[in-house]
Amino acid sequence: MSEQHGASVIEVENLVVEYGKGARRHRAVDGITFAVQPGECVGFIGANGAGKSTTMKTLMGFIFPTSGTARVFGHKAGTVESRRRIGYLPEVALYYPFMKARELLELYGGLSGLSRAQLRARIPALLEKVGLGGKENVLLRQFSKGMQQRLGIAQSLIAEPDALIFDELSSGLDPLGRYDLRQVLLELKNSGTTIFFSSHELSEVESLCDRIVMIHKGRVLKQAPVSELMKPLNQFEVVFVPPAGFEVPESAARHDLRQDGEMCRLLVNDIDGYPRVLSDLTARGVEIRRTASRTVSLEDYFIELVREAEAKP
Amino acid sequence: MKPYPVWLIAKSVLLEAVRRREIYAIVLVATLLIGAVMTVDFFELEGLTKFYREVALKIMSVATALTVIVLAARQLPREFETRTIYPLMAKPISRFAFLCGKLLGVMIAAAFCFGLFMVVYLCGAAYLGSSVPWALFAQYIYLQIVMLLILATLSFWLSMLLNLDAVITIGAIFYVFAATFTTLTTYIYDFTTPIGQFLIRVVIYAVPQLTLLDLSEKAVHAQAWAPLRFATMAQLTLYGLFFSALYFSLAAIWFRRKPL
Repeated sequence: MSEQHGASVIEVENLVVEYGKGARRHRAVDGITFAVQPGECVGFIGANGAGKSTTMKTLMGFIFPTSGTARVFGHKAGTVESRRRIGYLPEVALYYPFMKARELLELYGGLSGLSRAQLRARIPALLEKVGLGGKENVLLRQFSKGMQQRLGIAQSLIAEPDALIFDELSSGLDPLGRYDLRQVLLELKNSGTTIFFSSHELSEVESLCDRIVMIHKGRVLKQAPVSELMKPLNQFEVVFVPPAGFEVPESAARHDLRQDGEMCRLLVNDIDGYPRVLSDLTARGVEIRRTASRTVSLEDYFIELVREAEAKP
Repeated sequence: MKPYPVWLIAKSVLLEAVRRREIYAIVLVATLLIGAVMTVDFFELEGLTKFYREVALKIMSVATALTVIVLAARQLPREFETRTIYPLMAKPISRFAFLCGKLLGVMIAAAFCFGLFMVVYLCGAAYLGSSVPWALFAQYIYLQIVMLLILATLSFWLSMLLNLDAVITIGAIFYVFAATFTTLTTYIYDFTTPIGQFLIRVVIYAVPQLTLLDLSEKAVHAQAWAPLRFATMAQLTLYGLFFSALYFSLAAIWFRRKPL
């Protein structure tokens, strides 16, 4: 039995994972630290080779940390106890082609400790949920890539886990499949399931997650709640003509104000402070010519952060 | 370790063996070979039945051994190659239980294959009117299973170290080598130097002598051989289990720390 720690679902502390030996040694994860709390939906994003899959594989016990710790539900990652309440979807996985969908779910459900009666009740409903209703007795060699991915989602949910770890959430799914999966995840999120997933679809991350952990070259670049992260990304532009003797109000002074001839251009990065800025400007008699919102997507922000990180020596 | 997850893994191995139909192909080829033996007509009937027993049992032994080597050798490399191991090992099952399940599955598949051979063999024997020395025959089957266990565990261990092709090749060489080494050494031992004799003894003790577990000759010439005593059977069982446990432990140790 592994020792139990804290209340976090996932705790990663100073995790270092290296591959290879000697001159071919490669550090895939370089001292990352983060935690996922119960009920949270956390997106794990990074470019290819950033260390996302390595981190997830370490959490599942498929590979071992060179140093640092990884814990799942307070148990050392990789122990049987740590995997008891987890549903995992690998980045790429095939399922036994000689099995039928029902047999595969019986295997995974049985390994998760479900009884035959529980499996009989759950399997048809679960297949229906992932869009494979009526495919119970179809051999998996007849499944397309998208159907295999849907089945992968079903196997991860079979034991109704308390937490889900999905490596590349919607890999191999068509737009309809992605939509279905998003609905399933939203339902699970609302029911309190902890979700930790990686994805290259940043719009998906933005719409589903409470918090984001960004990594690059094995290091955490940024981790913050989505609302906090996105707030400064949403800019509001106010173009106005200042009256004679205009004094910049305090609420506007901390934002980016530029004068261009007789016009002023103010960029407000704070959605909450925006109405106050507008009312203060109006109160000082400015003639507002134009207002506009400029939304920066998570993708733009991520690219900017990565470029900044790349530019650093 | 709970037995049910082990059984579930074993069942998946068995299902694969049955659905992939390789076992049937091997049994069919072996049946054709055994059938061909029955067409030989330059013996008297008694000579033919002995010839049939000898060749049929040999074909069955070799075919089952190769089936087990191939089945066992591919279990883990195939799981890695197709990445089916990830969703499996994400479930609450230990690596040791997973390995035990794989071994159990391979052994049940081997027993199933051997059972099919037995049916073919007994049908042939009945057709030729050849009597079956049941006690010795049962001992032959039992020791064959012990031998298959050694081959399966060895293949599991080798599959931790080598790729699939290499495991099958080495497994087959080992089967042939281990089965003939004892016979060879009886001819050359007296003609070798003391160092050579020492090395031969080391190899004899280090490598399982599969000929010790092969009662096919005795089953063929049953009128000249009584069934083995219980104590001898127990010793042979322990001998086989020692090597099986050794190879399986090595496989488990390797697999425990193997990155997936």
